[in-house]
Amino acid sequence: MTQVRYGMVIDLRKCIGCHTCSVACKRENAVPLGVWRSWVKQIEKGRYPYVRKSFLPLLCNNCENPICVTVCPVRASYQRKDGIVLVDPHRCIGCRYCMAVCPYDARYINPRVNVVEKCYWCFHLVDQGMKPACVDACPPQARIFGDLNDPNQEVGRLLATSPVQVIKPEMGTYPKVFYIEADLDALRPERKD
Amino acid sequence: MDISVFYNVFSQESFGALIAIYFYLTGLSAGSFVLSTLAYVFGMERFKPIGKIGVILAAFFLVMAPLALLFHVGQPFKAWHLFVHLNATSPITWGSFLLTLYPINCVIYGWFMFKGNKKMTRIFGTIGVPLAVFVHGYTGFILALGKARALWNTALMPFLFLVSAMVSGIALMILISIVKDRFFSKEKTINRDLVFSLGNLLAAMILIDLFLVLSDVLVLLVSHSEAQDVARLILQGKFGILFIGVENVMGKIIPALILLIPRLRNLTTVTISSVLVVVGIFFMRYVVVLGGEFLPLL
Repeated sequence: MTQVRYGMVIDLRKCIGCHTCSVACKRENAVPLGVWRSWVKQIEKGRYPYVRKSFLPLLCNNCENPICVTVCPVRASYQRKDGIVLVDPHRCIGCRYCMAVCPYDARYINPRVNVVEKCYWCFHLVDQGMKPACVDACPPQARIFGDLNDPNQEVGRLLATSPVQVIKPEMGTYPKVFYIEADLDALRPERKD
Repeated sequence: MDISVFYNVFSQESFGALIAIYFYLTGLSAGSFVLSTLAYVFGMERFKPIGKIGVILAAFFLVMAPLALLFHVGQPFKAWHLFVHLNATSPITWGSFLLTLYPINCVIYGWFMFKGNKKMTRIFGTIGVPLAVFVHGYTGFILALGKARALWNTALMPFLFLVSAMVSGIALMILISIVKDRFFSKEKTINRDLVFSLGNLLAAMILIDLFLVLSDVLVLLVSHSEAQDVARLILQGKFGILFIGVENVMGKIIPALILLIPRLRNLTTVTISSVLVVVGIFFMRYVVVLGGEFLPLL
């Protein structure tokens, strides 16, 4: 039996940009006003009649090689055996170094308790055999969560049979959120010139 | 093609002005300390008058600097975690020890200096030089390890920080020794020899600093897309005036010209150029920290 390694596939052929994942996450994790663990970036491109709206649901990639864990001065950020990256709220001193170095802007400081928080794929639900709240709530089932090492799960089947990509592979963080049919213009920041 | 971001969530400010102030203060401290050792460790007798001022300034700034950190962190009362839960790969963990050892060493070194114990002064000064280099060098590593930000993620960053620390330290020392001689000494005369030899040192350091900044920007301009974006931001974007005008022209090029051209160099112009440098280096820290984290990552 191989080690469990969680990962997520987001199938953008199915995503309708409804923000249900953002809302479900807020509700499940009591995320305060003004900050988000999971959100959907939306871009509009082209000129009528050749136009398209592209969506990019964003959340913590729970990277295989997380830079936030490397730089945390108090080891408040750590990686579990199944790959999920967590922040210990009792140990975090709120120095924000992890926020500054995260290539995915996945972290925020909780204004109520002044410690850093982020998406951890609802490990409290996953440990009970359930799915993360965003995966459960997604109406077109565009988010698929599971064990990357298990070839019989849907996440493994999709990874094996679809062209997938991750955000900023050049960072060497080895993200574990894989996108099917992501739009290049949504993947990179807007250029104003 | 027309592309516009219709909806996105932007990150909170992570470091901000307090961290820029912190870097500035540690820089002044490290610079002052190295200057104070010139006479007492390296035996350059003409720099003897600044030895005692140097060590007082170094200790003072290093007491002020961590205060900026405590105001910045979300949970200042949990700061003791830094000494209990260590992470060898985090520059901040290195820093929590450097920020403790360095001021203690400063105080011991200064105590022996004021007691007139030459041998012990030399020993603790020798220990202090690498500590001073690391206490400021590690702040460069804090930024250099921030691989998400193109402006920070360069191996030049610790060198840039060390050289600019020396630049700001020397400029401040020129100002302080002028003020001290003019208003607080018995003779009320300024030690011109000292001021001008510090001026020469300052000019040399500014030239090295300009070279490092030039190589940094040249590489950013042809590197990956985010590096090009941030190069445009500091050259012509929101930080253009601060980076080009305040930091480099006003804070480095004009003072360097004043210090290098003999016809322009007198006590008044050296004082003015030192003020320009001290202000310019502050904006160097400001541009590096706030400019580096300004652009959205996604």
